Amino acid sequence: MIVAEQKPIEEIRQIIAPYGRVLILGCGTCVTVCNAGGEREVSFMHHALNVAESRSGNNTHDFSEYTVKRQCDYEFLDALADKVNDVDAILSLGCGIGVQALVERFPDLPVLPGVNTSFMGMSREWGVWDERCAACGECRLEETGGICPITRCTKGILNGPCAGTKNGKCEANNDMDCAWILIYNRLERLGQLDKMRRYYPARNFRAIPRPKRIVSKANIETGEGDG
Amino acid sequence: MYPTRADEEHYRTRRTDQQIDHSFTPPCQAACPLRMDVREYVDLVAQGRIMEALQIIRNGNPFPSICAYVCTHPCEEECRRSQVDKPVAIRAIKRFAVEFGGDRMVQAEAQTTQPEKVAIVGSGPAGMACAYYLRKLGYPATIFEAHTELGGMLRAGIPQYRLPRHILDTEVQRLNQMGVEIRTNTKVVSLDLLFELGYKAIFITIGAHQSLRMGIEGEESPGVIDGATFLREVNLGLKPSLGRRVAVVGGGNVAIDAARTTARLGTNKVNILYRRSREEMPADQSEVELALEEGIEFVFLVTPIRIQRKNGRLNVTCIRMELGEPDAGGRRQPVPIAGSEFNMELDTLISAIGQAPQTPGDFNVRIGKGSTIQVDPVTLNTNRPGIFAGGDAVTGPATVTQALAAGRLAAYRINDYLKHHYPLPVREERDTLKGELLPETIEAIRKIGRIEPPVLSPETRAKDFQTTEMVYDWETATNEARRCLRCGMGAEILFQDKCASCLNCIKVCPYHVPYIDATGTIQIPPEQCQACGVCVAECPAKAIVLRKPYDRRSIDEELEHIQKSKTEAKSKPLIIGFCCQYGLFGTGTLANLWRRASGGIWIAPVLCVAKVEAEHILRAFEMGAEGVFIAGCGEQCSRENTTYWVRQRVAKVRRTLAQIGLEPERLQTFFPDSDKEPAEELDKFAGKISELCLAAAMTQEVKS
Repeated sequence: MIVAEQKPIEEIRQIIAPYGRVLILGCGTCVTVCNAGGEREVSFMHHALNVAESRSGNNTHDFSEYTVKRQCDYEFLDALADKVNDVDAILSLGCGIGVQALVERFPDLPVLPGVNTSFMGMSREWGVWDERCAACGECRLEETGGICPITRCTKGILNGPCAGTKNGKCEANNDMDCAWILIYNRLERLGQLDKMRRYYPARNFRAIPRPKRIVSKANIETGEGDG
Repeated sequence: MYPTRADEEHYRTRRTDQQIDHSFTPPCQAACPLRMDVREYVDLVAQGRIMEALQIIRNGNPFPSICAYVCTHPCEEECRRSQVDKPVAIRAIKRFAVEFGGDRMVQAEAQTTQPEKVAIVGSGPAGMACAYYLRKLGYPATIFEAHTELGGMLRAGIPQYRLPRHILDTEVQRLNQMGVEIRTNTKVVSLDLLFELGYKAIFITIGAHQSLRMGIEGEESPGVIDGATFLREVNLGLKPSLGRRVAVVGGGNVAIDAARTTARLGTNKVNILYRRSREEMPADQSEVELALEEGIEFVFLVTPIRIQRKNGRLNVTCIRMELGEPDAGGRRQPVPIAGSEFNMELDTLISAIGQAPQTPGDFNVRIGKGSTIQVDPVTLNTNRPGIFAGGDAVTGPATVTQALAAGRLAAYRINDYLKHHYPLPVREERDTLKGELLPETIEAIRKIGRIEPPVLSPETRAKDFQTTEMVYDWETATNEARRCLRCGMGAEILFQDKCASCLNCIKVCPYHVPYIDATGTIQIPPEQCQACGVCVAECPAKAIVLRKPYDRRSIDEELEHIQKSKTEAKSKPLIIGFCCQYGLFGTGTLANLWRRASGGIWIAPVLCVAKVEAEHILRAFEMGAEGVFIAGCGEQCSRENTTYWVRQRVAKVRRTLAQIGLEPERLQTFFPDSDKEPAEELDKFAGKISELCLAAAMTQEVKS
C-alpha cells in the first residue's frame, strides 16, 4: 500500500496562496488507510486551513471538501466534473498518482499536492508505518528469505551485511534492524544459509527505464492471439 | 462520501441515515413486562439529568413510584453487566430518579374525548393501570372496588415496610385528579348489570386472593391461617394475636412477606417451612437475604402433614423431604423420606403455598386451569364480547409489573375493541440484542462494583413497619448508573462502501471487538461493542457511526449552539471546553467548573470525551475560541483508554496549531486524576489565555 504524509500547513498555505476557491479532495483508498488523506483528514485539513486563515487575518480563500473512492482512476473522477467548475484549484490529499490522474482528467485546473507520497509499506501498529518495497522492478525476495535488502538496508546493498552492523542494528540508526542480519536469521531458520554464500552482481540501474509501463493485454491488431 | 450518479440525493440520504436510531432493544428492556426504556433512563441518571430520566420512566410506567419500591426487577436478572461483575441496580436507580426527580409533583391530566364508558372491576395494579391509560385515551373510566380503599394486592398483600402507603395514596390521588370515577365498597356481582348501566366495555381484574389449601388433617383448626388473609388483616390495620412461636409454610414471596410481618408483630420465633431447598425457592433472593438478617429461620426440605390442636397450641407433625427427579417445569420434585416425621409445637401456622383467583359464577366467563379466567392472549378478551380480563385473575399470582403491563395492554385493546380496529395494527419492534459477552470482552471491561442502596440495620427495621431500604444519594446513584454497558447502542460500519479496510477500528478498540470475517469484511458485533465511540472518532473514512446516533445533541450541534449564543464579550477571550457529562464529573466537578467559570468560558457537554474528534477541537478554534480545553473523568471513566485517545487527538491538534502559529498551550486537558483542583486549574488556564491574547494583540500592534 502507498503511504503518504500530510504536508505541513505552512507549506500548504504557500501552495494555495495564489488561488481563491480551493477544493480539498481526499482519496478513499491508500491515503485513507495511512491516515493522510481520507474523509477525516480532508475535514481536519479544511478546519485547520480555516483556523489559519482567520488567525492570519486575510480571509482570501474559500474552501470546499470532497472525497472520492480512488483518485487514480478517471472513472472515479468523473463525478467531480460539476464540482470543479467553481473552484480555482484542487488541493489533492491523494498520492502523487492521484494528483497526476486529476491533472490528466482536468487539464485546465491547477492540481496541488497536499501530501508527500512517501513509500510503499505497511502498518506496524496504530499510527506507525514501515517501508517494505521500493518497486525496483526486479524482485529478488526469493534469494533473501523474503526480506528486501533494497528497502530495508540503509545502503540497499545486495551482498550484506556491511561492517556497519552492530548487535543486529544498523550503524545509521540504532533503532533500525540491520536488514542483512534479518536475512541471515531468516535463512538460518529456513535451513537455506547457503544462499548467504552466493554473490549477487550489482543491479543495472540503467536497465530500468522510466516511466515504467506494464502491458498485460495482447495486441490483437498486430496479430497476437490469431490462429 | 463518494460520488455516484444521483450524487446530491445520495448525500442527503447519508445524512439522514446517520440520524436514524439503529440500536437494538437491550435485554433489560426486553425483560421488562412494561418494556421500560431502562438503558435510556439509567444513562440520564448517570449524567445527573434526573428530571429527564423521570420523564422517560413515566413514559413507560404509570406508577413508577410503586415499581421503585416493589418491582421484582426482571431487568436486573437479564442485565449483561452480571457477566462482568454484578447487574446494575436498576430498581434502586429508578427509586432515586423517582424521589429526586420530583415524581410527587407530577400532575396527571386527562380529558374526556370519547363517549364510551368503561368499567374496571377490581383496583389492583392492573385495574389502576387500565384506568390510567383509558383516561389518557380519553375514555370515562369507573373503578369498582369491594374493599374500602383502592390498591388491591398493593394494599392488602404487600406489607407496608415494602411499600409505604403514602406512595400508594399519591397514585390513587392522581387517578382521582385524572377524573377516574372511583366506587369503593362496591362488590360487582353481575356484569350484565354494568352493561345495563351504560358501560360499553368491562375489564375484570379481581386478582388472586384465595389461598390454596394444604389439604392436610387439622387444617381447619383455630391457629391455622392462610397467608393472604393474614397479610390482608395486618395491612388493613388489624393486629392478629399470633402467640410466641409461628411457622410459615411456603417458599414464595407471600411466605417471606408473612414471616417478616410476623416478626414485626413481636413474635419470638418465626420459621419458614419449605419443602424444597433454597435454590428452588421462587421468592426473590434479596428478600430471602433480608429475612435471614431479620432472624427468620428457614427449615428446608420439610412439609407439615398433620395438625393437632392441644391445650390451645398446635402440634404440627412434619416430614422431611429429599429432592427427586425434575418435573415438567424443571424444578426437582420433593419426595417424602419415610419415617422422618417429627413434631413442632406452634402457636400459629400460616400457610402460604399459593393463591388463586375466585371469580363469581355470575360473571359467566370461562374459567381455566387454576381457577384463572381464560382470555385471548392478544386481545385480552374473555369468551364474552366486551369483557376483558387481566392481572393475577388471568395469570395466577404474578408480579406488580406484569399486572401493570396487563392493565396497559387492556386499555389499548379496549380502545381497539370500541373503535373497531380490525385487524389489530401491527407495531414494529426493534430487534432485541442477543448473545453473551465473550471472555476477552469481559476481561477488557472495567470492573466497577455494584453499590447497594443503604438498608436499615436488621435490629431497627424488624421492630416496625418502616420502609427498610433507603434511597441512594446523588453521587452514589450517578456512579451506579455509570456501570451500565449501554447494550445494543454500539458502533456499526454504516457505510461499508466507504470502509477502506484500514483496520484502525480493530487497532483502536479497547475491547478487541471488531474482527475480520471469512470474506475479509470488518465486522463490529453489536453484542460485544461497548459503545465507547473511540473507533467512530478514529475511523479515517468516517464510515463508522454509533447505532444510537447521539445521546443528546451532537457535538457539532453543541458548537453551533455556542456559536449562536456567545455574546461578543470584548474584554474576555472566548474559551470553549468539551466536558464529559457522566458520573461524578457531570454532577460534581463539572458543576463546579460551570459555577466558577469566569465569563467567556463556554462548555460543550459531551458524553465521554472519547467522542470529541480532532476536527471538533479545530472547529472550536475556527469559531474564534482563544483557548480550548477538554475535561474528562480520566482514570475514573467507566470505559477503557478514553484518556489515551483524547491525548492522541490533543497532540495532533497541538502540532497543527504550532504550524499555524498558535501556541499549543491554548489547548489543554483536565483530568481529575491529578491532585490539582480542576476549577483552579481552569482559572489558571483562563489567565494564561488572556496573557496570550494580550501578547498577540501587542505583536499585531507592533507589526502595523
